[in-house]
Amino acid sequence: MKATAFDQYVTLVRQGLRAEFVDKERLVSPVLFALTMLILFAFALGDLDQSLRIKVYLAETLLTALFALQLSFSRLFEPDRQDRVFDLLRTYPVSYSSLFLAKYTLVLILGSATLIPTMLFGAFLHQSANQSLFSWLVLGISILALAGLGALGVLLSVLTLKAQARQILYPILYFPLTTPVLLAAIQSARLCLEAGVTSPELKSWIGLLVGFDTIYITLGILLFTELMDES
Amino acid sequence: MFNSEDKREFLIGSVLQTFIIFHWCLAFFYAPVDIHQGPVYRIMFLHVPSAITAFASSLALCVFSVLSLRNRSERLMAWSKGTAEVGLLFTILTLATGSIWGRPTWGTWWTWDARLTTTFLLALLYAGYLLLYGSMAPGPGRTRVCAVLGILIFADVPIIYKSVTWWRTLHQPPSMIRQGGSTMDPEILWTLVAGIFVMSLYAAWLVRVRGRNILLADEIESASYASFGT
Amino acid sequence: MLVISNLSFKFRHRRLFDDLSLTAERGDLWHISGPNGVGKSTFLSVIAGLLNPTSGDIKLSSNGETIEDRRAWLEYLPAEANGLYLKMDAVQNLRFWSQLRGLKLDDEAIFGALAPWGLNHPLLRSDFPVEKYSTGMKRRLALARLSLSPVPGWILDEPLYGLDQQALAVFRERLGKHLSSGGFALLVSHDLEPFRNLITGSKEIVSRGSM
Repeated sequence: MKATAFDQYVTLVRQGLRAEFVDKERLVSPVLFALTMLILFAFALGDLDQSLRIKVYLAETLLTALFALQLSFSRLFEPDRQDRVFDLLRTYPVSYSSLFLAKYTLVLILGSATLIPTMLFGAFLHQSANQSLFSWLVLGISILALAGLGALGVLLSVLTLKAQARQILYPILYFPLTTPVLLAAIQSARLCLEAGVTSPELKSWIGLLVGFDTIYITLGILLFTELMDES
Repeated sequence: MFNSEDKREFLIGSVLQTFIIFHWCLAFFYAPVDIHQGPVYRIMFLHVPSAITAFASSLALCVFSVLSLRNRSERLMAWSKGTAEVGLLFTILTLATGSIWGRPTWGTWWTWDARLTTTFLLALLYAGYLLLYGSMAPGPGRTRVCAVLGILIFADVPIIYKSVTWWRTLHQPPSMIRQGGSTMDPEILWTLVAGIFVMSLYAAWLVRVRGRNILLADEIESASYASFGT
Repeated sequence: MLVISNLSFKFRHRRLFDDLSLTAERGDLWHISGPNGVGKSTFLSVIAGLLNPTSGDIKLSSNGETIEDRRAWLEYLPAEANGLYLKMDAVQNLRFWSQLRGLKLDDEAIFGALAPWGLNHPLLRSDFPVEKYSTGMKRRLALARLSLSPVPGWILDEPLYGLDQQALAVFRERLGKHLSSGGFALLVSHDLEPFRNLITGSKEIVSRGSM
């Protein structure tokens, strides 16, 4: 009479994806927001000096991505908040780690759908004839950042689930808590573009980023289970 | 008018206030003038103890949060909230005195140094904690959610500090704050130690009073419920 | 068998039920009564596992064996909500909840569960978001979920909310079948008339509002 934890995980991921696709506005609004921001930045900054391009590209693109991801994370439990679905989930024999991992997987999928276009479009806007800003490694670094941001994102979504001022609260908690991941991501991406992939510092920054991801995922899963027990 | 408990709190409070005045006297008259900075350095006696108290509050918040997750105690929840309030007060005090001190010594009100950044983010996190508390209905759910956030804040503070330190040290020389220790006059050192001691005691007393206030407010609320007969 | 012993729940100014004991065996339908705001719904949420009791025990056993996770044996129906993904259709909703229970149902089985509730019309059951249903239709769908699930314990908080006469008759019949096939149920309802012959016991929660 009880599904295995893995079956439940699959069911929850599928239902989560379905909830996104039946509500397309939810799905595309973060990425539209990000692209608009980038265009506005490009207008505001105008023609940039060659030496500044890398810095500006990384700062504005990663920050835009951070904002857009925050939008999409804060609405993660929106379909489950309706009609007390979330409460009913807690009365079902669902393993809480399956639920966390399902939501985390969802965040990674939806986050990539926002992050990758943002990074590509940012690189496209700032490139010049003799300098291409696209790099697979930078894309990889941003995905690593997403892994850390996402774990905190899921946790904060549950934390603010029953709070009235969710829209204001979410960013106030999200931005300070995610500073380390953002710093590590910007540093490693900058080193990668400026000093090249062989830079010795790059390795340690990427290591740091992986370390932060591990810490946040562990914290996320531990505290999430604690939260679900009675919320 | 006053019950015995109020009298006791008043007495403790007065004693602590006297300590603070005593410490200020030490700071102004006992500690000698610094040769490099002149009298402006005396703000340190307010700044350093505030900073230590602000960060110690996050440890206390974590301890109260872990305990309230375990025992579901209303008293611990009230103390947690009191700690966050006191923590916010002292982070703001730290930032303000640091800024005032920074202007004449470094020539700037603000710099993205690791300690400054971390203190600033800590203030935001305390504010976030209080906002979250305020925007939820009372109940076991709020106790749990706030406790989890309390633990998360404490766990994140060292990570933030470390990441900002690494970030800055790769750019420019580390923190401009003069490293004291061995070069410090014994009079200055003792005044500082006394300040830390007095300030943490004072903060602990504030948390106690705030905790009591919060519990009292709840009792008044419950009395109003009872009068409706539910 | 569900054994609830000396259950109490209080939180700050909400002192709700105190020292409540109840035993539900196969075929039992317990009615929980009491004035408004006394904690009937809270009592049911505690049984369903949404809240932890302040003190007391809830034990579920089957043929003498204690069941570890009682949620696997209970189905909960909240009072003012149905637990439906409003943007999805009826079939998607039923399939999701039954999959979480480990049931693998084909379309026919789901249509069969919808049929008695009058929801088995092709235009109603798929590609039609549940949010467009009327209050009563949403309740019917929630009850279809309940009767689809193979668990022995039903926890019903105002199940009749929004139901018309025809749906009420269907529900009565389903509940009777559930009880006679060895299930049990706890019920909070403002209208007891439909359940008159089924109720086997009644428990009143007394107000303890004063300090």
